[in-house]
Amino acid sequence: MEKGFIENGFIIDLSVAQNTSQLVSELNSVMEHPDVKGKRICLKLGDLDLNQSQLLSVKALIESMDAEIAYIDTLSEQTEASAVSHGIIVSKCDNEEIPAASYVAEPKEEEAEAVVETLKEGEIIEVHADIKQQPEAEPVVTIEGIEDNFTEETAQELSEIIPSEHFETDFETLAANEGLFANEEVSKYILLDTGDVLPEAAEENSIDTKTLPTLYLHQTLRSGQTVTYEGNILIIGDAHPGSEIVADGDVTVWGILGGIAHAGKKGNITAKVRALKLNAIQLRIAGLYARRNDTLNVPYVQKTNEFTPEEAQIEDGKIVIYKKLRRD
Amino acid sequence: MAGRVIVITSGKGGVGKTTTSANIGTALAKEGYKVVLIDTDLGLRNLDLLLGLENRIVYTIVDVIEERCKLKQALVKDKKNPNLQLLAAAQTRDKSAVNAEQLKEICDTLKEKNDFVLVDCPAGIEQGFQNAVAGASEAIVVTTPEMSAIRDADRIIGLLNAKEEIESTKLLLNRVRPNLIKNKEMMSVDEVAEILEIPLVGIIPEDTGIITSTNKGDPIVNDDKALAGQAYRNVAQRILGEEVAFLDLDEPKGIVAKIKNVFAKLREKV
Repeated sequence: MEKGFIENGFIIDLSVAQNTSQLVSELNSVMEHPDVKGKRICLKLGDLDLNQSQLLSVKALIESMDAEIAYIDTLSEQTEASAVSHGIIVSKCDNEEIPAASYVAEPKEEEAEAVVETLKEGEIIEVHADIKQQPEAEPVVTIEGIEDNFTEETAQELSEIIPSEHFETDFETLAANEGLFANEEVSKYILLDTGDVLPEAAEENSIDTKTLPTLYLHQTLRSGQTVTYEGNILIIGDAHPGSEIVADGDVTVWGILGGIAHAGKKGNITAKVRALKLNAIQLRIAGLYARRNDTLNVPYVQKTNEFTPEEAQIEDGKIVIYKKLRRD
Repeated sequence: MAGRVIVITSGKGGVGKTTTSANIGTALAKEGYKVVLIDTDLGLRNLDLLLGLENRIVYTIVDVIEERCKLKQALVKDKKNPNLQLLAAAQTRDKSAVNAEQLKEICDTLKEKNDFVLVDCPAGIEQGFQNAVAGASEAIVVTTPEMSAIRDADRIIGLLNAKEEIESTKLLLNRVRPNLIKNKEMMSVDEVAEILEIPLVGIIPEDTGIITSTNKGDPIVNDDKALAGQAYRNVAQRILGEEVAFLDLDEPKGIVAKIKNVFAKLREKV
């Protein structure tokens, strides 16, 4: 288990299911098996669209068998959005990377049973290789300079940045104050004159970023690393100075944002940049670029527990930053 | 008349190429000359940090070469001195993103409208070095009085001598600690100059002020009191062709001797 993300994992491939009831019955038959107990499960859902409540019932079903969802692999944007709103990780499920037991649902019941049969032996089952790989799903993600998406070290680093207890309490606070950022302007950024209009952001638009897909990354971005995505980017971890996050939609960093962040790269003026601590050397939204004020010489931010989340957006042709109100 | 293109190189890393580039550039600009600093350390850029210009960089040298912007757009003006401009390296790319001819072309364009183009070279002798040297006609080799740095400097001088375009190669001895030299724990300036056999353009004393100035993003030449700042200002004068005596780095001990020394210096000035 050097690589990959699941430990004690189990892949369940349900991508052949045509509708939700097929999916649930298929899942039911697998979940009855004792070997699944206590496992972390990767669900392959194919292109089936699941709304939030459907996904929640799938999750409940798995949890009722003392197992948990590690992440889901889906080609459907709707399912992905539902998963993200429930905090379920969406990721590509790479069979080679997870040398754990797997289950592949087959269209015919008999074959499915046969697989369950072998499972009873308590042995590891090889995944059938004849599952057709879906063509490379849009949108395009490029991550430069990052070799491993997730390693033990990043996990450790992350736990250093945000202690787990703090994680929960802060999340509650955020949920309670949802959307209530204090109307207090922080003039820590100054607009940059970039000369000519930036070609890619020349045409302004205001696509609702909620409708865009989201790239979920669980790691520290280091100097020189770039993440580009045709949608929203969510990073759990810090983005160090010298790194670059470029998204068509929103950029959200659950950690300290110290590099360059560009939201709404193709001219989306409603896109936002948010972070637990906004310390970006430059903030870019659509065609507007702002640099950090020289008087704020804070190259290093202490990783304390006391963050007040900040959100940057465009207002009246300016980049404005809002800070979440502190309760005390 | 076209300006001068000077590459600042060393072979070894960490001897102070970038600090030297930032300080000589700032000192020349303070003298009223138009200066462009080029950071060619792609992927490991630092020059912007030393000048405190990181937050102003929108386009980099790679954007210029890949024609995403005009050269003029990528030049970042210094906060204090409009005579000084920076052409930053790309942080998210590596040395293979540019080649020697492209860099030469940029140097050739820049030297037409500027008095000095200073090229900050990356460590090593690979492509990054070859790129940085391509457009230059003069070189300053930075070294410290340590055997490893001197060995690498010697190698670099050999490579520079083999290049026809480089008309002059000069030595800048950095991080000199007179106390250590006195106790024979460090090689003296003369010894280093003797080994490397090229003319000296400057001797910079070790100065803790360099650390603060680097962290603040303000080159030490802007500090009138710092000894290292004075040494760099002298280097700039020598580049301009002035005869300036090397600083007397033998720090007198005891307060009486220090006061005497101050008076002695004052007398010299008069």
